Amino acid sequence: MTNTRSILFGSAWVIALAALCTGSAWFALRLVENAHAESWRWLAVGTMLAVPLACALAVQGLARTGVVNRARAALALEGSVGINTGDCSGWFRTLAEAVNRRLAAESQRTEQLTARLREAEIRLSIAEAERRHTETILHSLRDAVIVTDPFNELTLANPSAAKLLGFDQAGSTHKPIEDIVKDDELRRIIKEVRQSGMLSKQRHIEHTMQPAGSGPNAGPPASFDVTIACLPPRTPVGTPGAPKEVGGVVTILRDITREKEISQMKSDFVSQASHELRTPIASINAYVEMLLDAEARDEATKQEFYSIIKGEAERLARMIDNMLNISRIEAGIVSVDRSEVDFAKVIREVIEMMQPQAKAKNIMLLERIGPLIYTAEADRDMMHQVILNLVSNAIKYTPEGGRATVSVETDDNSRSILVSIQDTGLGIPPEAMDKVFGKFFRIESYKRMAKGTGLGLNLVKHIVETVHHGQVGVFSEVGMGSRFWFTVPFEFQSGRSG
Amino acid sequence: MNEQQTNDSGTLVGRLIVVDDEMHIVHVLALKLRNAGYEVRTAADGEEGFELATQNPPDLIITDLQMPFLSGLEMCAKLRNHPSTSKVPAIMLTARGHALSRTDLDTTNIRLVLSKPFSPRQVLEEVERILGRPSAGALSKEAA
Repeated sequence: MTNTRSILFGSAWVIALAALCTGSAWFALRLVENAHAESWRWLAVGTMLAVPLACALAVQGLARTGVVNRARAALALEGSVGINTGDCSGWFRTLAEAVNRRLAAESQRTEQLTARLREAEIRLSIAEAERRHTETILHSLRDAVIVTDPFNELTLANPSAAKLLGFDQAGSTHKPIEDIVKDDELRRIIKEVRQSGMLSKQRHIEHTMQPAGSGPNAGPPASFDVTIACLPPRTPVGTPGAPKEVGGVVTILRDITREKEISQMKSDFVSQASHELRTPIASINAYVEMLLDAEARDEATKQEFYSIIKGEAERLARMIDNMLNISRIEAGIVSVDRSEVDFAKVIREVIEMMQPQAKAKNIMLLERIGPLIYTAEADRDMMHQVILNLVSNAIKYTPEGGRATVSVETDDNSRSILVSIQDTGLGIPPEAMDKVFGKFFRIESYKRMAKGTGLGLNLVKHIVETVHHGQVGVFSEVGMGSRFWFTVPFEFQSGRSG
Repeated sequence: MNEQQTNDSGTLVGRLIVVDDEMHIVHVLALKLRNAGYEVRTAADGEEGFELATQNPPDLIITDLQMPFLSGLEMCAKLRNHPSTSKVPAIMLTARGHALSRTDLDTTNIRLVLSKPFSPRQVLEEVERILGRPSAGALSKEAA
């Protein structure tokens, strides 16, 4: 700004000087034209040269004495905007004041515009940060989110949506929804919500559809909790060309397949548990009533009834214990009393306990224990329960005259104790092999063979795998018998576990 | 199983079949009904129950719902469709009383659904009521 003013000021001086020189030259020429005598002609030429020179010297002198600077100051062309009217008077003062007012207004407007520009820049920066923030949140969601505009074109989507619906996220913006969402029903619902134009309401539906992917790799249909909401219009209603309905639709798809499965499993468990618990209660109730009604007409019948009642009560207690133990283990709240367990001793205890039942069916219950000491750090009572359940099953599902053998050995590869229960029983059909350790699973055709809670093997699996980090499994062939086995890791002790 | 029974006065009052995969339930019901003078045959599943019933139709069948091979409901539907047992009424014992729909009841001859735990005394009373009024088509309040 100062440079511009200096140039203007300098130019004014040059023009003034040129005008003076031109005037002097014109006057000198007039003199020369009118001079008749030689001396006058020389005087004219001298004047023509002297006047500009004198003027230049005068300007130089004035500059040295500060007059020029004062004039420049009067015009206030350096430093502040406006003219210093203190040194002015008359029409020049009026003019200067008007110029000053105009300059002040313009200056103020410039300042305002500058401030607005800064504010807009800050707002833009904040909006950009918020957009990135929102985008990061959106992209980190496991739920699939797609946003469409009033023209039913995609404006925003997250990677979960791209994966679920099978589209290229980067190249799909502004593509019609028909190209993005292949599921007819979902597309119809989105359109319906957009057309309803109800901004205040969200619509929730449960929808089952096939996730993206086809061919042999296509998974089963999945269930989704779909939330669809209208977005407010971006432009005010009435703006030319702007649609009068909603600004778009946001659709959120939450995969609830697993939740539904868990819910169904819980529901099945409660239903099954309630059914299983009622059965021994029904027996107890009926036999007690028979005793009360004097239907047991001799002492032997009475004793039989007492025995049945006791057995059913024990069965009920066992079922409740099993359920609670499984529940505790699953919830991770089981208390484990770890000690150095002598497996040979536990096996002998179980065999002794189960021998009467084996004898009742004429089943040979045998042990096969080597000369070593088989110990591992484990919960003794739980190990007892595991072996008891497996031996009990072997007796239940082995026909009369069969054989069941319990053996223990060390498995140096996995640094574990390996316990096996081999029987000559019915065996397990191949289709049931992966279900036998499930809750309440019983092979239908074997139900008549023996009573059970359907929880025994599930508890075995939980105790071995969840609590002791061992392994459990079964080899079986229908008609040839089964071999159930489990391992429990031991802490190696030289000379003890070999 | 085909034990001929009489009541205290020595009169045979009816022939029944009890079907349940729970041995103790079959045992207690059979004893209660035999003591009351009924001839009682027993079966451990639906298939066996159906065979017994079609070989020699009983006056009434008492059956559990959930059983291997053939459920109590399936057995009752088959009996309804079999010429020799199409009129044989049934009492259903179940731990899942709500599992039966009106259609289930309409397509079978199930006259009553009793929930487990049940009372043998009540079962006997209901057997007597149903056999005493063989034409009774009205469902009991529990079945309804």
